Amino acid sequence: MDKFAVLQFYGLLKREVLEHKNLFIGAPTVVALLILVATTWVATQIDQNQLAEGLRYVSILFDGLSPFDMAPFFMLVAIPFYLTLYVCSVIYLINTLYQDRKEMSILFWQSMPVSNFQTVLSKIVAIVLVAPIFYVLIIFAMYLIAMVWLTILGISNDVDLVGIGWMFLAAIASLVLIYISAFVTSLWLLPSIGWLLLFSAFAKKTPLLWAGGVFILVGFLEDFVFGTQYLANWVASRTSDPNQYLIFEFQSVFERIFNYDTLFGIVVGSILIAGAVFMRRFTD
Amino acid sequence: MKDLILRNRYTLLIVTLVVYMSVLVAEGMVTGREVRAIEFENPYFDMNFNELEKFRERRSNDDDDDIRARFDDAGDV
Repeated sequence: MDKFAVLQFYGLLKREVLEHKNLFIGAPTVVALLILVATTWVATQIDQNQLAEGLRYVSILFDGLSPFDMAPFFMLVAIPFYLTLYVCSVIYLINTLYQDRKEMSILFWQSMPVSNFQTVLSKIVAIVLVAPIFYVLIIFAMYLIAMVWLTILGISNDVDLVGIGWMFLAAIASLVLIYISAFVTSLWLLPSIGWLLLFSAFAKKTPLLWAGGVFILVGFLEDFVFGTQYLANWVASRTSDPNQYLIFEFQSVFERIFNYDTLFGIVVGSILIAGAVFMRRFTD
Repeated sequence: MKDLILRNRYTLLIVTLVVYMSVLVAEGMVTGREVRAIEFENPYFDMNFNELEKFRERRSNDDDDDIRARFDDAGDV
């Protein structure tokens, strides 16, 4: 890949981030602030002696243990961020190609030396690889503030926080898990990403309604035409168990990515993404 | 063929969906994919969505028996 193509792609990614600052940066910042405010409020409601005892217990809990073994503890803190990322991703994917046509900026971008494939790929990379980076950075900032706050609390309550360094290392290790987990989830849900992009490129109005309505219609059609329910079965088998894509240990990363279900999902998602790329031809 | 597929947005959507469905149905037939029904485990009650299908079949059989019984009771009309 030549340098110009890399710069082109970087420009496309930068455009996505600048145009969707609220989804990439604003939303996780609000969640982090809410968590910090809620935690502070809870800490003010607890008796000082109990708080000191709790600090001592948490500090001892992490002392001397491998940060990689303790990292899954911090995955619980990431759950609100995951939910926010999913909601923001759906909003972003269903609107992104539709918005281009609505405000006619598609004509400008098609006059640029970038192909429709590059444009759609930049939107997928933005949500699969770039958005989780911002989320992880904001979680890191939240952890830093929390560690400083814990240290101040420990000093003011005369508690020896022996394991706070280990706790911080576990929190850092969890950031890697959170990022990989978000990436694997995106690969697992690539058919959903492709579906939303296809209808974002297709619909003249209300793309979310089209995406939902056609999904239900296709399910009924399969039942009528083939007399089978493989579509419904497939969707149910991919959404009913979050353990299929959330990662709680580093050892399971390889098997989560390179298994039949994930790879088949990537193939199916690619069909829908190809449809979205070709759909960009119709600019009206 | 290419002209036909790319004639307008609707033909392209239909072709994409047909390909998508064909791949899914073919894969489902080959692998015999079955739905992984949601089992909601809790200490208070058991809930398994697989059982709803059995319940529906049983209910349907019971209804058939009821209709047959009522028809027999009516005698010759």
